[in-house]
Amino acid sequence: MKGEVLLACRDLSVGHAGVAVLHGIDLEVRRGEIVALLGGSGSGKSTLLRTINGLLPPLGGEVLLFGEPFHQLDEERRNAVRRRIGLLFQQDALFGSMSLIDNLALPLRELTHLPEPVIFELARMKLALVGLDRLVHRRPSQMSGGQRRRAGLARASMLDPELVFCDEPSAGLDPVVAAEIDELLVQFRDVLGITLVVVTHHLDSIRTIADRAIMLGRGRIIAQGTIDELDRSPDPDVHAFFHRLPGEGIGRAEGDPIDQLRHGARP
Amino acid sequence: MSPRVELQSGTAVIRLDGDVVVDTAARLYRRLRRLCRRRDVRSVVLDFTGAGRVDSAGVATVSLGSRMLAEAGKAFDLVHLGEHHQAAFEMMRSAPAAADRRDADEAPGLFERVGSRILGGVERTVEVVDLVADTMSASASALARRSRLPAGSLLSHASIMGAGALPIVGLLSLLLGMTLAFQASVQLEQFGADVYVADLVGLAVVREFGPLITAIILTGRTGAAIAAELGTMRVREEVDALRAMGISPVRFLVVPRVAALTAVQPALTLLAMFIGAVGGMIIAVTVMDLTPVIFWERLIHRVHMRDFGHGLAKSVVFAWIIGFVGCYRGLRTTGDAASVGAATTRTVVTSIFFIIVVDALFAVLSTVQVTR
Repeated sequence: MKGEVLLACRDLSVGHAGVAVLHGIDLEVRRGEIVALLGGSGSGKSTLLRTINGLLPPLGGEVLLFGEPFHQLDEERRNAVRRRIGLLFQQDALFGSMSLIDNLALPLRELTHLPEPVIFELARMKLALVGLDRLVHRRPSQMSGGQRRRAGLARASMLDPELVFCDEPSAGLDPVVAAEIDELLVQFRDVLGITLVVVTHHLDSIRTIADRAIMLGRGRIIAQGTIDELDRSPDPDVHAFFHRLPGEGIGRAEGDPIDQLRHGARP
Repeated sequence: MSPRVELQSGTAVIRLDGDVVVDTAARLYRRLRRLCRRRDVRSVVLDFTGAGRVDSAGVATVSLGSRMLAEAGKAFDLVHLGEHHQAAFEMMRSAPAAADRRDADEAPGLFERVGSRILGGVERTVEVVDLVADTMSASASALARRSRLPAGSLLSHASIMGAGALPIVGLLSLLLGMTLAFQASVQLEQFGADVYVADLVGLAVVREFGPLITAIILTGRTGAAIAAELGTMRVREEVDALRAMGISPVRFLVVPRVAALTAVQPALTLLAMFIGAVGGMIIAVTVMDLTPVIFWERLIHRVHMRDFGHGLAKSVVFAWIIGFVGCYRGLRTTGDAASVGAATTRTVVTSIFFIIVVDALFAVLSTVQVTR
């Protein structure tokens, strides 16, 4: 392990409307890492991500971002922290009414006092970085899914964030384009020095890009460590995930009717 | 950071001091731009000795500055770059091979813009005609019982568009009738022609204002709602889903709405005509000392069945304008949130425009008919 701790969760509980989805989450992400956040559908990955970013209040415990207790900060300090964080949404969340270049320029126009030519130059540079510099005047609706995802990444990197969260960056993309996105993510880390937390289901991309993985299930963290460590994990859910077995159903609550059916057959 | 500039025999040396980042890059940009304009400067040197962190905004400023200076015919150089400065500039140069360089995106020229406008106009006209024709044929087949409309849709649309609009149509036409009578009374009293207020209000409300006020209310209430609803369905790919299932969006979405409007609009218009006349009567009785009986007698004497026919015929055409414009604009929406708003706005503007134009046409045609 290297680098300072950028993100730490201490005994964190998250959920909606007072109903906890995850309990006792303890995790750390250090500078320069790419950490994969794994778990089945409904295991609370997105809820955890939304809580860490302050879009949802935590039900217990605390989130430390860059060493500061994020949820206890006032709005102004919180926004200062937010400027150091980038977010890539699952549905790219590009603004449909704006051209690509305006989408990228938006955070700079709103949050900084940079002159317009500099903003334009910077947006063009970031677009070149993701290979979209010839499409500056396109609307998001005129771009392919892979192009939109890359544009989302470029927008997330506009303010030189130190930490970027990606919610399923390669979901719904073909394997070739998904591999391109993976390559870009690694490039973001290696070239721009950005630390990444990536929510994903793709085993291939986890093996290619992630230094470490954290696996959620049954309302808590069921395993964390390097990919090799998780590969050899004795936990049945982790084993099932990494070896593509039709296991117990990752993240399904205990007492689930399907579990009962399955276990009911054998005493 | 406050970059100092030293000028020696045509060479300006900018000594950077502190971080060159988002918050400070603007000052460097302004300094570089100023140097671009100076005639006595032939070359610019950026000295990084005292510079701290350089982020992408800093890199962008320097890269933009170097281009500006090159265009102004001045030399530009970076000196004393630290290791991390070099890394910062390198990261921007090491942009990965762009996958999309092929499809260059050049801004269209004048001819292309004019041409695409004209072609767009032709295309839209064809689309509207298509939509109307499709609706006609789908309605005909529904009338001939060869196909069905979605169960209950006609009735629910009619009740939302019609019954829901009753209070507002009633209130506004009452006020309109009263205003007309009041304005007329001031003029007519000068000539002792008070009694003609019934003729005036009756004709105006039945031939013009009843159909018009109903059409304008329904444009705002129903036309806009149709455009927004269908537009959102487009954005959420529900219209594509219908098409993929082999269900015609015209039969499923357009026909019930246009049919409901065709039924509801004349009914609301008739109501507006009567309530408008009642409004006129209220003023005639209270302000002008006419009796209700005299008012109604004059009204019946003056307003013929033909005038009602004129107003109601107009209202049916208005219903089609509102229905078709709303459906067309809604179905033409492209995939983003702003286009739904634009579709709604255009529906209201286009509908009201055509309603006024058609109203004028009706006025001219009926005059021609009468004078012959």
